[in-house]
Amino acid sequence: MLSAPAAAAPWIEIENLHLDRGGRPVLVDLSARLAGRAVGLVGANGAGKSTLIGALLGVLRARSGRASVLGLPLPAAAREVRARAGVMAEQAGIFPGGSGVDAVAFAGMMSGLARREALRRAHRALDALEVGEERYRPAKGYSTGMRQRCKLAMSLVHDPELLILDEPTVGLDPPGRAQLLDLIRQLRDEGRHVLLSTHVLRDAEGLCDELLLLDAGTVSYAGPVAALTQPSAGRLVACGDGLDEGFAGALAAAGVAVISRDEEHLVFSSRGDADLTAFWRVAAERGAAVRRLGAELTTLEDAVVDLMEAGHGRR
Amino acid sequence: MAGAERKPSSLHVLRAITARELRLAWRRRLLKLLFLASVLPPVIFITVILVRLFVERSFGADLDWDPMLRFLQFQAGPVTLLALGIGTPCVARDRAEDVLFLYATRPVVPWHYALGKLAAVALPAAALMLLPGLLIAVLRLTVTQDLGAAGAGLLLLKMILVSLVMGWAYAGLTVGASSGVKRARWAMLLAIAFLVFPDMVAQLVTFGRAWPMGPGSAVNRLMESLFDLGLDGQGLWCLALLMLYGAGGAWVSVQRAQREMIP
Repeated sequence: MLSAPAAAAPWIEIENLHLDRGGRPVLVDLSARLAGRAVGLVGANGAGKSTLIGALLGVLRARSGRASVLGLPLPAAAREVRARAGVMAEQAGIFPGGSGVDAVAFAGMMSGLARREALRRAHRALDALEVGEERYRPAKGYSTGMRQRCKLAMSLVHDPELLILDEPTVGLDPPGRAQLLDLIRQLRDEGRHVLLSTHVLRDAEGLCDELLLLDAGTVSYAGPVAALTQPSAGRLVACGDGLDEGFAGALAAAGVAVISRDEEHLVFSSRGDADLTAFWRVAAERGAAVRRLGAELTTLEDAVVDLMEAGHGRR
Repeated sequence: MAGAERKPSSLHVLRAITARELRLAWRRRLLKLLFLASVLPPVIFITVILVRLFVERSFGADLDWDPMLRFLQFQAGPVTLLALGIGTPCVARDRAEDVLFLYATRPVVPWHYALGKLAAVALPAAALMLLPGLLIAVLRLTVTQDLGAAGAGLLLLKMILVSLVMGWAYAGLTVGASSGVKRARWAMLLAIAFLVFPDMVAQLVTFGRAWPMGPGSAVNRLMESLFDLGLDGQGLWCLALLMLYGAGGAWVSVQRAQREMIP
């Protein structure tokens, strides 16, 4: 497991957590300390993301190990954690039988608000999410975008310290997705902790400062997102025409380590000016048109895929 | 960001679940009609009592007839339908919409959920049996004066017992049936089957000599025991059976909530 230190106090602490479901181990010796304002929870299907959310809410009981959220031990303080958390669950719908505002107000009452206060806050949450008169319509007829907004309003109505969002942008069109992500960013910036479970790594990259990558119930990575996406030290990527196999061979002959190559890109290791001089000399000799040369940037998606493949390789 | 709420009390959660179920039920026209229908028997019986008083005082006739048993037996009809109407959709609807886990994301535990739903059936059912009965008892105590204070107290105790036991049994029956399926109409059929088949089967097997086995006949026989025949063995059996129906339904609902209030 890779790990990187974080500065703030951790609000999710997991220590040697083992959790079985249906007699099958789903979380295996899981340990992590996460302190980022927004933490991304990623992993392939069946990696244990939903189970971990269940464990962090105290709904699923671990076989062994310890976990705490917001400094509250689980499962002893499960109801306290759930009172302080707002959860937008992917698989769950909206409280049925009434309008959107009814469902949001009921969610507030479940978290301890009196009816009148819950109704007032439900309207405020729906206003913030730009849900207009549709709030009075039966929730059953809502579009996907409206359902997602209503679900987010249900998770926000009691003004929680912690937001647990499970695939919040699923099913949304691009403008709706961007709008929802902006809103989540705003909530994070207001000071709430956010745990974002998602398959869309671009969302996690844009929102989260820490990442917990699960792979087959174990932690594959826990630490800052920046540590995965920072420019690779000493690796340069060249883009242009003529960066063919012959070019790569000539560069290697000049003593420069070529890491990878495709039709238009060539990644090589640069230990200093000598390697750069050799690169430009080969380019001039072979008449290659180099349009761009710069440090190789890794997207979170690349980094996560690399980590997952490395994990599969180890197994 | 304002501070989050402290965890709510169990009573607050139960009240919220029960109140929501009742609000949803009240929005349905049929249930409104049934609720109004359950007000008719008390009106009819108050009229009967007043007519009896008039006849006895005017003609000196002694009509030896206790209206309380008849009233409760009549009242049990609309209350049974009302319990079916409120109870059968309440868990099935949540299961169909996949919202049981939503309850688990709040400070709600499975027994809060089940008890909240049970109370949404038991409280109005018991109240609709008890309140008009109380009104009739007060009338007999004050206007017709055919009942002394001790008699009125005893009557009150019997009515409280019948109302609570019936409310509990019908709540267990309907909410339990609702926990077993994902569609309200199937839950309704299941609950009706429990009302009809146990007695039918028992009567067939014993050639008509069986004690009550279904909740409907058990309620009826318990009323007869308390208000007419005296609390005999069959009455006690009915009392135990009704408690068992309630407990069985509660157990099924808690089990269902435990199984589905997870991600």
